[in-house]
Amino acid sequence: MSEPVIVLRDLSKNFGDVHAVQDVSFAITPGTIFGFLGANGAGKTTTIRMLCGLTRPSRGTATIAGKDVWKDRHLVRTKFGYVAQRFSLYPDLTVVENLRFFGGACRVPRTELDGQIERLLALTDLPGKRDVAAGSLSGGMRQLLALGCALVHDPPLLFLDEPTSGLDPVHRQQIWNLLYDLASAGKTIFVTTHYMDEAERCTELGFLDRGRLLAMAPARELKASFKTRLLEIEAEPLMPALVQLRNVPGVLGVALRSGRLRLYAAAPEQLLERWRQKWPFSDIKLLGERWVEPDMEDVFTAYSQGYTTLLKGESR
Amino acid sequence: MKGISMSAIASVAYKEFLHIYRDRRVLLLLLILPPLFTLLFGHAFENTQLTDVPALLIDRDDTPRTARFIDIISKDKTFQWKRRASGFNRDSDLLANGVKASLVIPAGWSDSLSNGDPKPLPLYLDGSDTNTAATVEGVVQQDLANFQAKERDLIVESLPDEVIELGKKLPINIRKEFVSLMSAWGVETKNLYNPKSRFIDYVVPGIIGLILQLLTVTLMACTIARERESGTLYQLMVTSLKRGEIVLGKVLPYLAVSVVLILVVSLVTWLHFQVAFYQPAVLGLVCLLFLLCSLGLGLLISAFSRTQTQAIQFSVFFLLPVFVLSGAFAPLDQLPDTIGYISELFPLTHFCRAFRLVNMYHAGPSFYAVDLMVLLAGAVVTFLGAAFLLKRIEE
Repeated sequence: MSEPVIVLRDLSKNFGDVHAVQDVSFAITPGTIFGFLGANGAGKTTTIRMLCGLTRPSRGTATIAGKDVWKDRHLVRTKFGYVAQRFSLYPDLTVVENLRFFGGACRVPRTELDGQIERLLALTDLPGKRDVAAGSLSGGMRQLLALGCALVHDPPLLFLDEPTSGLDPVHRQQIWNLLYDLASAGKTIFVTTHYMDEAERCTELGFLDRGRLLAMAPARELKASFKTRLLEIEAEPLMPALVQLRNVPGVLGVALRSGRLRLYAAAPEQLLERWRQKWPFSDIKLLGERWVEPDMEDVFTAYSQGYTTLLKGESR
Repeated sequence: MKGISMSAIASVAYKEFLHIYRDRRVLLLLLILPPLFTLLFGHAFENTQLTDVPALLIDRDDTPRTARFIDIISKDKTFQWKRRASGFNRDSDLLANGVKASLVIPAGWSDSLSNGDPKPLPLYLDGSDTNTAATVEGVVQQDLANFQAKERDLIVESLPDEVIELGKKLPINIRKEFVSLMSAWGVETKNLYNPKSRFIDYVVPGIIGLILQLLTVTLMACTIARERESGTLYQLMVTSLKRGEIVLGKVLPYLAVSVVLILVVSLVTWLHFQVAFYQPAVLGLVCLLFLLCSLGLGLLISAFSRTQTQAIQFSVFFLLPVFVLSGAFAPLDQLPDTIGYISELFPLTHFCRAFRLVNMYHAGPSFYAVDLMVLLAGAVVTFLGAAFLLKRIEE
């Protein structure tokens, strides 16, 4: 394993009495696609902004390539590119003008800038849109351009704050393919998302909940942190079944998945055993049951809803 | 500031220039408004001589003598007289008559003059407009004095020969004294600094300053606020750009635009109003310092506001007292001391004063050095303030 590129030690941020981020510590090695997961308001954006030197940490430290993200923020800025959650390019400037401006702002030498712009246009599949105003691009193309602008100085590290939210599946796929290419070229990708299928694509995941890091592990390890497989049942009528099962003692939560009800319960075998002896709901018919492996969404639900009894103890 | 790169500033400046260039409506406004304002304000303040004031004249005496007085007063271009019959009795109802003044010659006035007991003429004035009222009173007084002199000449001409003979017996020095007393005494006025007595020459710096102040402050105020509103400010901050580079890069295009505006406005005043410019290099320096100060103010407002709407609101709140109290269109001497001190805070005040000292008074640098220093200090303070506020945004 090579030296970690990002190291966080007890990184915290308070806004008045609100603890947006609390004592978050982890390290990321180069070439990782790190997925930072959490509900809205969990503190993902605040963490990224601290790492980018846009917000001063209240406590703790973070380093990028050995440099402090706050004290040495002017040095650190050459090391990463940042794609913000909101579209934050200049809508009245064309695609090329945006790239050229950020190239100049990131001090890309003039002699290299033209070549770099052509490379980025090709990479983001935007050569046909070079003289189109950024504001007239579709959401997906805007995001590709934002990615291009973040890469203009060829940084080893890329921060992306929900880069695919609100995009169609085709553009999401395109952006992820691009991220794979970048990671395979040795770049480190730090991406926040709340799409679980995207979480599956990351090589490493971190779960943030109300400012605290609950878990940090590769995707496979996180799924393996469930104590048991999950019980899925088929029942009719579906919706009343969902509502009534939620209130059964021992059931922490019920999720609807492709017409089946997935139960989050600490001891699902015992529940099923009881139900086989006596089905307690006269107005609902039990049609069948099966056992499934937990997926990322289950992991996310378990961590974000605090179903700790389902988990083998918080990993790492 | 260390490590400031010219090419980084150029990148920001070029981008900012594109923003101006792409916003066609504002660009059109920038190109059309200044010359239009110059023509508008220039003509509005061109003529300060009060003429054609609507006024009412009622002659209840109707004698040859009043006819002679009316002849004099009718020729006065200050007034546009409306005559009313002697039976008209709403003398003081100026509003209903649509006039600014009403002069009444009461019945028996000529007799009172002949009887050695001259009655005053009632003159009703619209006091709501203090300037006009004072002027009208003075003009009527002057016309009356002229009338009096003419009447005296008539009496002297018609004196019987014995009186003339008697007068010739008086000692020569008393006769001379008497002749002197009989003629009107006056002053010989020489207008210095504005020999043609044109108000336009006075008001030019006001017009230039007002337009520049309005456009530079509001446009500049929007720049950083816009980046803040759209989130691009953070994108700027994660680049290698330093604050100084952002600030300078943003100011330069607006400075260039403002210089073009000054040239356009000067050209219009020169060609259309024949205003001469004395020592153009010094005037240029005055304009430059004023511009830097205004741009700095805009920048300060910009760094202070969170949205463009706020930026515009702050600009308007700032500009409103500036327009009234800066002496752009009227001399500041009438202001009470306290308010005079406040007006010294506005860059426009110093700009107008320095500009006039150079262009009208042809004064030496010692007269306007203080104003230039104030403008320079203002520019430095506002730029530093904006950089400081930007640093606070960063944290």
